Amino acid sequence: MKNLITFGAALVVALSAAPAFSETPPDTLVMARNIDAISTFDPAQIGEVVTNEMIQNMCDSLVAIDPLDEAKVVPAFAKSWEVSDDRMKITFQLVENAVFPSGNPVTSKDLAWSMQRVLKLGFGNAATMTEYGFTADGAAEELVATGDHTFEMNLSRPYPTGLILQAIASNRVANVLDSALLMGEEIDGDLGNKYLTTNTACVGPYSLTKWNAGEVVILEANDTYYGDAPKIKRVIIRHVAEAQAQRLLLEQGDIDVARDLGAEDLGELAKNDDITVASTTKHQLYYMGFNNANPEFSDYRVRLAFKYLIDYDALAGTVMNFLGTPRASVVPIGAFGALNASDGQPFSLDLEKAKALLTEAGYGDGFSARLFIGTLPYVAPVAVHVQENAAKVGIDLQIEQMANAQLFSAFRGRKFDTTMLSWSTSVPHAHGMLSRHAVNPDNSAEAGMSMFPTWRASWFSEDFNKRIDEALFEQDEAKQVEMYKQLQRDHMEKGPFTYMFQLLDTAAHRNTVTNWPWNAFRVYYADIEKG
Amino acid sequence: MTDHADDKIVSANGATSRWRSLAGAAFRTAISVAVTVLGLLALTFFIGRLLPLDPVLAILGDDASQEAYDRMVVKLGLDLPLWQQFMTYIGNSLTFDFGTSLTSGKPVTEDILRVFPATFELATFAMILGTGIGIPLGVLAAANRDTWIDQTVRIVSLIGYSAPIFWLGLLGLTFFYAGLGWVGAPGRIGIVYQYDLQVQTGLYLVDSILSGRWDIFADVFSRIILPASILAYGAMAYIGRMTRSFMLEQLGQEYVLAARAKGATRRQVIWTHAFPNIAVQLVTVVALSYAFLLEGAVLTETVFAWPGFGRYLTTALLRADMNSVLGCTLIVGLIFIALNLASDIFYRVFDPRTR
Repeated sequence: MKNLITFGAALVVALSAAPAFSETPPDTLVMARNIDAISTFDPAQIGEVVTNEMIQNMCDSLVAIDPLDEAKVVPAFAKSWEVSDDRMKITFQLVENAVFPSGNPVTSKDLAWSMQRVLKLGFGNAATMTEYGFTADGAAEELVATGDHTFEMNLSRPYPTGLILQAIASNRVANVLDSALLMGEEIDGDLGNKYLTTNTACVGPYSLTKWNAGEVVILEANDTYYGDAPKIKRVIIRHVAEAQAQRLLLEQGDIDVARDLGAEDLGELAKNDDITVASTTKHQLYYMGFNNANPEFSDYRVRLAFKYLIDYDALAGTVMNFLGTPRASVVPIGAFGALNASDGQPFSLDLEKAKALLTEAGYGDGFSARLFIGTLPYVAPVAVHVQENAAKVGIDLQIEQMANAQLFSAFRGRKFDTTMLSWSTSVPHAHGMLSRHAVNPDNSAEAGMSMFPTWRASWFSEDFNKRIDEALFEQDEAKQVEMYKQLQRDHMEKGPFTYMFQLLDTAAHRNTVTNWPWNAFRVYYADIEKG
Repeated sequence: MTDHADDKIVSANGATSRWRSLAGAAFRTAISVAVTVLGLLALTFFIGRLLPLDPVLAILGDDASQEAYDRMVVKLGLDLPLWQQFMTYIGNSLTFDFGTSLTSGKPVTEDILRVFPATFELATFAMILGTGIGIPLGVLAAANRDTWIDQTVRIVSLIGYSAPIFWLGLLGLTFFYAGLGWVGAPGRIGIVYQYDLQVQTGLYLVDSILSGRWDIFADVFSRIILPASILAYGAMAYIGRMTRSFMLEQLGQEYVLAARAKGATRRQVIWTHAFPNIAVQLVTVVALSYAFLLEGAVLTETVFAWPGFGRYLTTALLRADMNSVLGCTLIVGLIFIALNLASDIFYRVFDPRTR
């Protein structure tokens, strides 16, 4: 009976006393995000932005992107480094007081093992290193622990040091993993890959305490961290897939930050005095790809015509508001060697020009093609916009929307006519994009160069291959920048893709979050402050 | 004396033949369940192979090299002949080994055991509400056919039947959570309790009672009530409409007239004469509604950030996580088979003609 009364009382409390406004604990940051994409915490395998952001805050790399200037790097696990005169060897001095959560000391052997491991496992991330000449077979000589806290990187060509630091040393492929622990957890020669799907074994300001797929990820401050202690003790990332639900939770104060809001919600929230809407430019471009194996798209004038079928500013002010800024160059703003905003986006909606280009190419009567798109909210309106304008110049685009996994599969398999996708680079350097979007080492089907979007689009240019290589090894920086700028102009005219937007990362947070430090590559959880 | 002995023989024979027929029925049922399960296994397997999704890319990422891709194809056994893959699949499925989920990196069975209680709790709560309100409403509408009561029930049911659940969910949240503050936020449990609750059954309402934490119970209850009510609304509309039409059929029968002529009150006629006769049909309707709810309500689970079965299955499908998709599809199939079997058994209990 007593229980029954308590039960009744609890019901009454639940129904009547639920507060209209709640607050999150002061030492905890509660973030709502769609975390469906998480499938592993193995730095060698992580391939998407949500887990990458978390791993950056849990696992330190050799160096880190400078929080204040994303084109520079600052020391992290490496306290200093030296470059040989011929630019073929980089020697890193590592911090000496770092300890893994298991209690094992962190040594350069762990680092060499971790980086060699990425190459041996051969997941997509291995491309980050193979692109600069590292190989699974040669890894033991290329990545060497020369002392307990000294580490050498031997390069196959004199790549610009800044680029190697940005592309590899600050990337998750240079995370230091607990080799002793992982070898103890090894199953069938997987180098601890299975263990790392649900655990972490590295050193960083936070460590993973809980991951329930589709529910929550909880990070706790790492008490034994060698660097500065994080200001926020705990970060809870709650899975909320629905943007409207994220907005309601934020307005009610049940969460501190919402990460996946749409243009309309962000517009409304920007008017709320208790909430701040913050944006940062990502090095991610939203673009339209054409299959150059189709006769019509093999003519550059047809591809160029599509650049005049888009009302960039109208889209930027509506569906892409807070989500992207117009950008037609292959190199994102903020990267070394990028064209400035106006030179990098010279196009506007011009149906007559598009029609003239098509006529010149022999397609004055138009043609029809399929357009494959994914499931992100802004994708369909953008596709419909292009479809409508294309129809005005005689091109019949049939839109087919599909799951992203299916879309990637079609694009990689060269089984498409046109498609809309985004591509992000983790390197703030012109080479980061050009090396994939303009270089194609071998266009033959047998070569299977499916990690190159150029290969997927069956587009090949010996001229671009050569010039990009020359630009990469140009020692005179001013000349190098000029070479990159010319490459971008030429790529805009003759390249395989129509770039539309450089995407923004936009978060809405309550004003109780007094510092939200981030840039194109990272959110610095450890520096977040709550008032 | 002789007659008496014959009687005994007859009744002994009767008992034996009843047992035989029961054993026969059980055997037939077992065979039909086995065939259905096998068909289900074949169907899920081939659907999995026909979908234009690439499980290899789902594991390796879009950026992987062709060599890594080919290695993974061999590792997953996708290079083997289809019949060989199918045999392995059947063997593993019979032991509930669906392999490792790509979505979570854990065994699919472990994932299902984690997400299913969330859906089970929500569906059961919704079913209790939906049945508890739907049946009386349906009876009421039938008993008051074409009056304002009937019309009101019809309109209420029609809205429940046709309003998109997604829209109802958001509307409910805006009104009851953001506006009035009567219900809790989306999510199964508050962040402050995330660490506190000792999970034993996976049903948070039950777990909070078992550990005597009434504060957690209140929190969990405040969060489940709205999604459960919205699901219940749909179920109620369906059950109510069906109850009404079953009752109308019974109320038109002659035995009802006879009962009235004998002097039975209206209430007696409805509840003790007519209603027991529709029980059998209602069991099927309720079992089917329950099965649909247990399958997981994707939209409701999405709006209310409910980490349930429906969302797990949908996410797995979109991520080309075929192990999870096949495991979940099989579980859904088994739920339907089990509930069908249960309603068959109920038929035998309630309907003397089937004995």
